[in-house]
Amino acid sequence: MSDRPNWLVGALAILLALTLLAPVFGWAAGAVGYAEPLENAAEQTGAVDSAEAVSIALLADYSVAGLGSAAGTFVSAVVGTALTLVVALGIGRLLGTAPNAE
Amino acid sequence: MHIPDGYVDITIAVVFAALSVAVLSFAARRVGRTVPESRAPLLGVVAAGIFAAQMLNWPIPGGTSAHFVGGAFAAILLGPHLGALCVATVVTIQALVFGDGGLVVLGANVFNMAIVEVYVGYGIYRLVAPYGEFRAAFAAGWLGITAGALTAGLQLGLSSAFEYQLLTTLSIMGVGHLVLGLIEGAITAMVYRYLADARPDLRPTAETEVSLS
Repeated sequence: MSDRPNWLVGALAILLALTLLAPVFGWAAGAVGYAEPLENAAEQTGAVDSAEAVSIALLADYSVAGLGSAAGTFVSAVVGTALTLVVALGIGRLLGTAPNAE
Repeated sequence: MHIPDGYVDITIAVVFAALSVAVLSFAARRVGRTVPESRAPLLGVVAAGIFAAQMLNWPIPGGTSAHFVGGAFAAILLGPHLGALCVATVVTIQALVFGDGGLVVLGANVFNMAIVEVYVGYGIYRLVAPYGEFRAAFAAGWLGITAGALTAGLQLGLSSAFEYQLLTTLSIMGVGHLVLGLIEGAITAMVYRYLADARPDLRPTAETEVSLS
């Protein structure tokens, strides 16, 4: 228990480093042309036009309205990483403290 | 690997959503009995790390690109049940906030990445672990993501948007991720080895298994 902050600080530093890398990788992937097997399959079968965007997504495609591509990717990475951390921590606490029903 | 809305027929989406709910509620019940409270911070950090790592698209010359999915990684580090809940959290946030993967197909995406990749990856890890943990983590990441890609190919190939071209979708998804999965395996194995060296106490098996080294 006493060493928890110790590894958490290191872990948070790694998370921050990953979010800083996100715009770099985004640029590099864009430079070679981003396509996953899923997209190739959609193109080959003519399914591409069937795709629908998620209308409630606030940061659709990991971008922020009014911000450039790199800045938007970075903000998305920070928001998403922090949100995931908080939600997963909450789930962990809920499960950890739940009374053993069975 | 994240299927958008419109690609998968509604009946397929509903079937896989129901399967996902069933497996995740089973996972939550198992976890509630077996996981000490002290693993909550680890769950949070691993989920956040997987989210951040998934944003890193590794460019591959020739016009393709892949990102780490992390299902097998979560399974090895957290155990399969907590690992499934971990990746399901990531996939849900990606769909709701970033529109990465659709809402109607959320259950199908959770099934592929948070259930198939996690449980298949964990099973392979356990099978190969006697022959070396590094190898086991590599095989788990590699074949886990390939298995997830195959179930995605199945869902797509049974849908009208893909004109029911099941063989095409299965082969493109399966072969594509069998190749790209080598990166998944490599990252899974290297990050796992780093963590196992740096923090052996974080390993889920640390309390129950005696290491020879």
